Amino acid sequence: MREVAIVGAGMTPFAEHFSLGIKDLLPMAFAECAASVDKGLEVGDIQAAWFGELSTTDGFPSGILADTCGLLDVPITHVENACATGNDAVRNAVMGIASGFYDVVLVMGADKVRESASKDTFWEWAGMTRDMAWDYPLGLVAPANFALHVARYLHESPATREHMAMVAVKNHHHAVSNPKAQLRFDITVEQVLNAPMVVEPFGLYDCTPQSDGAAALLLAAADVADKYTNRPVRIRGVGLGLDRVMHQHKRDMTTFPATVRAAKAAFGMAGLTPADVDVAEVHDCFTGVEMISYEDLGFCSRFEAYKLVEAGATSVGGSIPVNPSGGLKAKGHPPGATGVAQCVELFEQLRGSASNQVDGARIALAHNVGGPTAVSAVTLLEGPDA
Amino acid sequence: MTHVSAIATYLPCWGSAGGRVAGGDEDAVTLAVEAGRAAIDASFGGVAGGGSAGGDDSADAGGGGGGGGVQRVVLVSRELPLLEGGNAAVLLAGLGLDPEIEVSERLGGAPAALDALSSARARTLVIAADVQPFAGAAAALVAGSGLTVTPVARLARSLPVRTRSAAGQVHDYGDPRLLRERGVLASVSALAAEGAEKPLALAGVDARQAAAVCAGQPAALPTTGASSALFALAALAESHSAGPLFAAEQATVSGVLVGDGVVVVRRAEPAARPLPASTFTPGKEIPVSLAAYDRAFSAKVRFEAGRQAGTGELDFPPRYRVGPDGALHTDYTLVPLPRTGTVYTGVTVRIPVPGLPTPYSLVIVELDGVDVRVLARVTGASPGTVSIGDRGRMVLRLVAVRSGVPDYGYAFCPQEAAA
Repeated sequence: MREVAIVGAGMTPFAEHFSLGIKDLLPMAFAECAASVDKGLEVGDIQAAWFGELSTTDGFPSGILADTCGLLDVPITHVENACATGNDAVRNAVMGIASGFYDVVLVMGADKVRESASKDTFWEWAGMTRDMAWDYPLGLVAPANFALHVARYLHESPATREHMAMVAVKNHHHAVSNPKAQLRFDITVEQVLNAPMVVEPFGLYDCTPQSDGAAALLLAAADVADKYTNRPVRIRGVGLGLDRVMHQHKRDMTTFPATVRAAKAAFGMAGLTPADVDVAEVHDCFTGVEMISYEDLGFCSRFEAYKLVEAGATSVGGSIPVNPSGGLKAKGHPPGATGVAQCVELFEQLRGSASNQVDGARIALAHNVGGPTAVSAVTLLEGPDA
Repeated sequence: MTHVSAIATYLPCWGSAGGRVAGGDEDAVTLAVEAGRAAIDASFGGVAGGGSAGGDDSADAGGGGGGGGVQRVVLVSRELPLLEGGNAAVLLAGLGLDPEIEVSERLGGAPAALDALSSARARTLVIAADVQPFAGAAAALVAGSGLTVTPVARLARSLPVRTRSAAGQVHDYGDPRLLRERGVLASVSALAAEGAEKPLALAGVDARQAAAVCAGQPAALPTTGASSALFALAALAESHSAGPLFAAEQATVSGVLVGDGVVVVRRAEPAARPLPASTFTPGKEIPVSLAAYDRAFSAKVRFEAGRQAGTGELDFPPRYRVGPDGALHTDYTLVPLPRTGTVYTGVTVRIPVPGLPTPYSLVIVELDGVDVRVLARVTGASPGTVSIGDRGRMVLRLVAVRSGVPDYGYAFCPQEAAA
């Protein structure tokens, strides 16, 4: 199996891009990725592409990517794996190179959540993740989907809404210096706790915003990476995990087994342990989900996430900084782009050029969990030697 | 003459002393199911579908002796949810009765309910349900023995002070005095002239009018529609009062003579509480797949799990399985699930959700005695008041109206509310 490296990365800002369509966002992210390649990129070098997108604004996803980025001569595969789409697109591209099929491939992710009327968004997106006869009519909105877990988690663990609020405060603060982030302002614990309730126990500031955006990664076989850069970021491990799709079938809702499975696969492939991770981008669509994920990813023991939060360990400057980009919570969450953009952030972190730099970061982890909390993808990256 | 072996009543917990209102998840069918199940249960000591999933009895819940041997169901209401598309299958499924049973849907008020009862053959379950202006339902089971009910008077007269067209458009002539004098009182007088005794109770009218017509002080009735006739019968049975019972709707009156006989009366009439404030946000119609509806119907509306042949494991919803050897297992039987359980986790949705009244609570309930959990909306309690560990029962409710299709399923009713 050949080693695979990231040699270029770029993304659009995450925002409510009412004035930009998917056909605008894709070439924007692609061009920024191409520009980031230290020794330059000939588009003709790209041999294949994987495109992660949940919804399909303006139609056929693969064709739109081919058409808008001048990739009509290469195979393009559309990846849809709920909120794990981005990191699963990375995983598929890695297999394309690791197998020896290709030397240079493109990974892109994009979505436009704000393309439909906000009052219609719920039912449109719920159709992709719910059982039509049983769950769909109950009104299991996306926050409720996760809140069912977090309510039980708060019941069984010492964590409180205050700890969740501290996660929101942290991620908002991290986003302030990130020019690509959607919510670049500080908030306080009091603001989080006093915000309007969305779905108990989530107030407004416990929730990710709805976002549009696109992100791109250029992957190359390690043995050809030096054509593009002297400072590649190696992809050490990839993993994907699944779980039962209906909430009533999940035995222990204080954990996401999909994450545990994905992390086990990625760490196993990399030969690394959670203690090796220097910086992580973790799926914080809702604050409590970031806390449960600390435990599922092995950053702390079961029901001890609150200790990491209280100690500030997951803030930049702490022992295991999480979401230095602001995370989904403050950077934004266009689902298909989210995982790819996590890797864009970590590419910069591991090369020392991030806007909110974690000093000396060498091993990084990206994580998504989503859909009906039934799929997770984890990617492990290693920075270039100093 | 018919014999009534059991009478059961149901009132929604919402409203005030002045009258009950149906929750947003209740309609004439769900109200009828509440009363009808209680009547079957009262008469035969066990409603079909009462929790045999853990045992060996996997027979179709409604077949044979299930459902207490009910052979016909008559539903009387002026508020049948669907004029076309059918309420009968949902009604039978909710009652736990066999789908082969005959269902008559009768459009009518209190006289129609009384007529349905007095003309019914044995093994008929007569249910009357009202949604507006006051909500309630009552059911009577006609049997070979029990309280005797004999038709004694009937007069159909036309004084359409209030009209409602097939399209649901209501007109009110606006003369309650005319309605009283030339409607109910004139008809009762006409019957008296033919020798009818003064009634002990008059259903279908408000308490003042009833008191003006009746001998003695009639019991207060919670509705003025079809169900009021059966509520009145329940009150007479409880007070062991034999005598005439009249039921009126505008100028039409029916009368029966209530005699002697043993009858079980069961009331599910929780204390009234104000209906919680709720917001309805219009949006696109909620889509429905009728193929998915059809596949799910029996398990979803009868509350049945699939029990895998061989292992005996329960799947809710029922499904095919694939074994470790890759072999497909499609052999399962539908078995009724227990209807009581404990909240494992729960949340309350506060944001507006187009097409659904908000706020609402969602819970995952661990059912008693089986390894099955259910995701359900909470009913009969204010949103946000149910906690992990709370106990309650699963009841048939209207989950949503999806592109014109009422979508029924089970909701969790916490114990305090059910008491």
